[in-house]
This record gives sequence, structure tokens and C-alpha cells, in this order.
Amino acid sequence: MDTIMIDGLSFALPLFIMAIGGIYSERSGIVMLALEGLQGFGAFVGAMTVILSRFYLGNSSPYLIYIAMVAGMIGGSLFSIIHALLCVKFKARQVISGVVVNTLAVALTTFLTSVINGIITGEASNKFQIGVSSRFTVPVLSEIPIFGGLFKNMYPFEIVILVIALYCWYLLYKTKFGLRLRACGENPHSLDAAGGDVGKTQFIAIMICGALSGLGGIFIAYSVSGIFSPTIYMGYGYLSIAALIFGNWKIPRTFAVCLFFGFARSVVYQLLLKLGMPSNYTDLFLILPYVLTLLLLIFFSKHNHPPRAVGEIFDKSKR
Amino acid sequence: MSEYIVEMRHITKRFPGIVANDDISIGIKKGEIFAFLGENGAGKSTLMSMLFGMYEPDEGEILVRGEKVKLSSSNEAAALNIGMVHQHFKLVDNYTIAENIILGIEPIKKIGGFIPYVDCKGAQEKIRELSKAYGLEVDPCQIVETVNVSIQQRVEILKMLYREAEILIFDEPTAVLTPQEIQYLLDIMEELRNKGKTIILITHKLEEIKRIADRCAILRRGKLVKVLNVNETTTQEMANLMVGREVVFEQEKSPANFGEVLLEVEDLTVRNEDKFDVVKNVNFSIRRGEIFAIAGVSGNGQIEIADAIAGLIKPQKGAIKLKGKDITDESIRRRTEDGMSYIPEDRQRLGVILDFSLEDNLAIKRYYREPFSQKGILKREGFQKFAEELIDRYDIRSGQGAKTTTRSMSGGNQQKAIVAREISLESDLMIFVQPTRGLDIGAIENIQKHILRERDKGKAVLLISLELDEVMSLADTIGVIYNGELQKISPAEELTTNQVGEYMMGVKS
Repeated sequence: MDTIMIDGLSFALPLFIMAIGGIYSERSGIVMLALEGLQGFGAFVGAMTVILSRFYLGNSSPYLIYIAMVAGMIGGSLFSIIHALLCVKFKARQVISGVVVNTLAVALTTFLTSVINGIITGEASNKFQIGVSSRFTVPVLSEIPIFGGLFKNMYPFEIVILVIALYCWYLLYKTKFGLRLRACGENPHSLDAAGGDVGKTQFIAIMICGALSGLGGIFIAYSVSGIFSPTIYMGYGYLSIAALIFGNWKIPRTFAVCLFFGFARSVVYQLLLKLGMPSNYTDLFLILPYVLTLLLLIFFSKHNHPPRAVGEIFDKSKR
Repeated sequence: MSEYIVEMRHITKRFPGIVANDDISIGIKKGEIFAFLGENGAGKSTLMSMLFGMYEPDEGEILVRGEKVKLSSSNEAAALNIGMVHQHFKLVDNYTIAENIILGIEPIKKIGGFIPYVDCKGAQEKIRELSKAYGLEVDPCQIVETVNVSIQQRVEILKMLYREAEILIFDEPTAVLTPQEIQYLLDIMEELRNKGKTIILITHKLEEIKRIADRCAILRRGKLVKVLNVNETTTQEMANLMVGREVVFEQEKSPANFGEVLLEVEDLTVRNEDKFDVVKNVNFSIRRGEIFAIAGVSGNGQIEIADAIAGLIKPQKGAIKLKGKDITDESIRRRTEDGMSYIPEDRQRLGVILDFSLEDNLAIKRYYREPFSQKGILKREGFQKFAEELIDRYDIRSGQGAKTTTRSMSGGNQQKAIVAREISLESDLMIFVQPTRGLDIGAIENIQKHILRERDKGKAVLLISLELDEVMSLADTIGVIYNGELQKISPAEELTTNQVGEYMMGVKS
């Protein structure tokens, strides 16, 4: 039971923070298919920083994890500038730009990893071995029956993500910036006529998305998998897009969806372990949660409302 | 300081291939309602867009409150207390009215002195006060998409007042409103003037100018024709100056000559998406050589009747018979081939494909037949020849002839193209829905002439119009719809305008 809780949460939260990034971008009117590439590039920059920092701080420094987070976020947001420039400045097709960012991220990070490894160790491996960050257990809360598992063996990432998520919700719904951002996604002309800067708002939204995706990426690399390698591109980004669509572009609902994804996956996984099936069958059964998602999407899509102007290229003179 | 609050001197603005404003000089006094009158494309919107900072003039200068200004963005105009209600509202549909009004100048409060948030409560209070002061009733907590256009327009006006605008520009504000709503808006504009605001009204409707404007500038093809004191002129004079020739308001109508019954509608009931009956047990018939007009306030089911007959929506029950044949379940193409033409209300969405060329749009109901195609392959020469013929016969004006992209044509010429296409089908039944909405006098005259000509050729015409004047001057038979039911069907000469109005409001039955 505890394992289900622990694994579920550590799968759900990186998805969630990436999905929030996607929500920021899409609600500002920019289609965001680049989550996969952004999380990968964020993870790459984070992992590289960890490897390099170790020379100075040693292998067990408690600061490494925070350095990794900051580096991951910076990496993700820097990489997202490509998407922002293409979509906002050059008014390119947003779907195509997203795909470009994804492909570019895979190629670039694989190449750079080998080069950097070559310089450091003399061996051109495409992996950064960074290990798993330290964990902690919340006293008292972890003693609660059944749900206590949620508070055992937590990664520091998880707390950071929850705090950032809460702030993101506040920013989007209660502040001036959020009001303008959502206006961009619904009717950018309204903001333009009211004297706001549509391009700037969208640019910032995309960079926030990059930072959040980068955080999600380094979480996965530094906890669940323990390495950075091209296997980081296994569809987390696309899954969080599914989560935000299913979550109707709203943060609280997307949170619920991510938890559902996370726990459904860990429950199925534990069940399969108990049944002791050969591994090629387990892979097949692991798609169950997604099949379920597909079915649910079919039923719920009717009531979903994407931002009205998402994907529309904003042209001042068009009325 | 000069007597004018806004002065534009020798303004010239050119767009590729066209001079939109040609050496225009004009002065507007504080506290007056100043109207710009002109046909579509006469340059009135361009001129005012320059005052609002959306374009910069190529030549000439603008003075506000006696000082020379350079306006290069709408922010700069707003800083000079100039506000504009655009023809197409710029609202966020799923925001509340209050959120829409404060967007761009959000009032900020801080939790515990340091976490900022948008103060919606305070804004709502301020909006309530404003709305009371000017008689602009709105509930600031309502979501914009749940209120009607008239209220959305009030939101746009409140947006200007919230920004403390002193000079208010209205761009064709009545185009989207019903007669009652127009009344209300004109009252509001007078109220605003009485409170000391300066109002600039862009329009092509003469009655509005006659009713509220103090002075009026008439523009034709980018040139200023004349500035008139409204109470010293007549609508006829304004119309003539605007079009540049004598305008005929009342169409000459020959006596009716009815033939056999062509269209029969029996017990028609139409249900909308919310499972609500918008048309209830409607019965009527139209004969050859007859114009049957349905009069009614917008949203009472008249559009749905036309859509059901044309096959765009499936009726809940009832039958539609064309020349005695039941067509209730037939496809739209079959109906067209059986002899039905349809001029829809929303011409840009249902009437034409905006990004297609004019010749493609003109052939779009017949492209699969000769001379437009042979054995499934399109014959471009056929398209072009046909288009050129119609362009010539119906005086459709377009930049590059048959190859013009329809989007670049004016609304009046798009409508002329649709009418030309539908008439050229030589159908026995012609359905016109709001055929002259948003058009200027010249184009209205043209379209109405065609409607009468079709009737005289022995076609049956179903006319659906919100303009009571149009119904009264064209119809042979009038059916008045209220709340989805036909209240009254009667020969036109037996009804007065007032009586029709009463049936429309459901007062009389």
C-alpha cells in the first residue's frame, strides 16, 4: 500500500507541474506541444549542473538538489524562448514550432551529453549518472492509516512543486498578470484595445511554462530514474498535455487528473508484480490507465472548453 | 484656445491603391454630438481610427484641446481622454462584466500589505455607481457571454467612462441592435452629451443623425462633401449628398399578380439546441408573384423558420411543401435543384467563403454541373465567363474582377454577389433573410429593386426582415411573429405600421 502511495505521488507531481506550464501557455493563446522537449532540456541542464557542481561541493552536499531545481527551471525557460520567438515574434504555426522544439531537444541534449561526458570522463556515454536525491518522512502524518504512505519517503521536489503550484494558481486567477494572460487566450484584441501588451504577456507565459516543465524534468531525472539519458523522452510531456485537456485547462481539476494518472499507474504496476507476469506482458498492461483516459476523454470532451483564441495568430490589424 | 475640442487639419491617409482620406479638415466642439455620414468605404472609420491612434495620417495634423498631438497608439488616445466603441466589440466572453471593464487598468490591493491581488469588489462598486449615473443598467457580476449584444455594448461604453473618457467615438453602434435597443442607445448618447461629453457618431443611418446629432459631416469616396447643421437640413438632402445622386426611398411597386400556391408550410415546429420550441405550429403559404414578409422583433423564431425551409435545421414536426411536393426530409442540394434560393442572414458565414475568389463563390451552388465542370473536372473558363456576366449585370464592384478574394470586398458588394448568385439559379422560391442588414442606402436600394423584380417575374418571395419600414414597403402579405407563433397573417394594405408594431410586441392578438 505504501509503495502505491509513494510511487503514485512521485509520478503525479512532475506531470502536474508540467501541465500547469501547459495551462499557462495555452491560456495565453499559444498551443503548447513542446512540453516534452522543454522538460527534457530542463532535465539536461539540471543534471549537467549537478555533475559539474559535484566537483566543488562533493557528492553528498544537501545543496545539490536545490541547485538542480534552479538549473532545471532556468534551462527549461531558456529553451522555451525558441518557441516564444517562433510563435510570438515570427508568428509561426504553433503546432509546428512545438514539434520542432521537441525534436531539437532530443537531438541536442543527446549530443551535448556525449560531448560533455567525453570531456569529463573521456568516455562518450549519453548518460549523466546523478543518482536519487535524498528523501524524508513527515513525522505524525505518515502514521495515518492508508494515506500515511503519502507522507513517507518524500522527495524535497514534491513539497517545492506543491508550493509553486499553489502560487501559480494564485497568480493566474487573482492577479493583474493572470487576468491579462487569460484575456490573451480568449480574445487578445480585448487586451490590445485596453492598452495591454499581448506579445509580452504571451512571451512571459511561455517562459513560465518552460521553467515549470524544466522543474518537472529534473524531478524525473533526479528521483524516479536517477539518471539523465534520452530515456527521459518517454512521453511524460505528452501525458501532461492529456492531463491538462482532461482537466479542462483548470489547475485544480488538472491536479485531480494527475493524481488519477499517478495512482492508476502505480496500482496496476503493483498488481502486475503480485501476479508475477513476464515483463513484456507488464508493459502491455501498463497502458491500461491511458486506455481508460482515452475513453473518459471521449465522454467528457463535449463539456470541455479550450481557450477560445488558442492557436490563433494575433494580428493587430485584423478585426 | 480654439472653440474646438478636436480639430483635424488637412488629413490625408493612403492605403495601397486607394486614398482613404483626401485632405479632410474638420472641427468638433465640446459637448456636441457630431456625426460622420457616408457609404461603406467612404473613409469615416479610417478618419476616426486616426483620432484613436490606430493609424497615423500621412499628411495633416490633429489638435486636441487646442494642442497639436501625435497619436501613435490607442494608449496615447486614452491618455487624452478619447475612447472608442468599436463596431466589433472587444470583450472577453467568459469574463464578468467588471473584469472586462477593468482589464488593462486593474485596481490593485494587497493582502497584508505585500501580496497583490486585483480588487474586483471595489471595481464592481465603482461600476455600479457609473452605471447608475448614466442610466446604463448592467450587473457587473454577470458573465459577458450570457448577456445580449445591447448589454455588451453598454459594457463597452462603461469601459470608456471607467477610463474617464471625455471624447467618445461610436463606430456604427446601431448596426447590431433591434429598434428598441437603438432607441435606448440614442437616449444614452443624449444623456452623455447633457453631462458634458463630446460624442462622435459614425453611421450610415440617416434617421439616427436626424434624431440626435447636432452637426454632421458627409464623406464620399474619401473626400469631405459638406458639414451640415442637422436641424437645418432634411434626410433627403443628406442622402443625396452621401450617395452623390438623387436617392429613391420608396420603391415603386406595381400591383400584385398572384399565381398558384408555391410554398406551403404546415404545422411547422422547430426546436433549438436547448430543447425549447422556438417555432410553434406555424402555418402559411406563398403564391407566385407574392412577397410574403415575416415581421418580428429579433429572436422570435423568424430565422429558424427560414432555416427550416432551407434545410439548415430539421423541424421537430410539420411539413414543408414546394410545388405540392413534400421536401421536409430532403437534402439542401435537392431543395436547391427543386427550385429554392436562399439568401442567409449571416452572409459572411453562410453566404460566401471569404477566402475564395468571387468567381468561385458565384458558382458554388452549381460547380458540379455544366458549364462549370465536365465529368467531374472543373472548367475554369466556365467559372470566369459566368462571373463576368453576373458582375456586369448586377454591378458588383471588386478590385480585380472575377479573381478578387471575396474578403477584400465591401459588405454591400458581397451581398450583391450572393443575391446575384441566388437569382441566377432561377428558382421559383426566393428566401431573403435580412437582405439589407448593415448596408448603406445605395446598396439597399439596389437589393430591394431586385426583390421586387423577382416578384414581378412571378417568383414566390419569402422576406424576413427586422426593419419594419422594409417590410411595409415591399410586402404583399405580412405575417407577424411573436414568441414563435404567427400572430397575424394579413394582406399588407390592411395593416398600418403601428398595428404591425403592436403584434410584434405581443400586445395585440
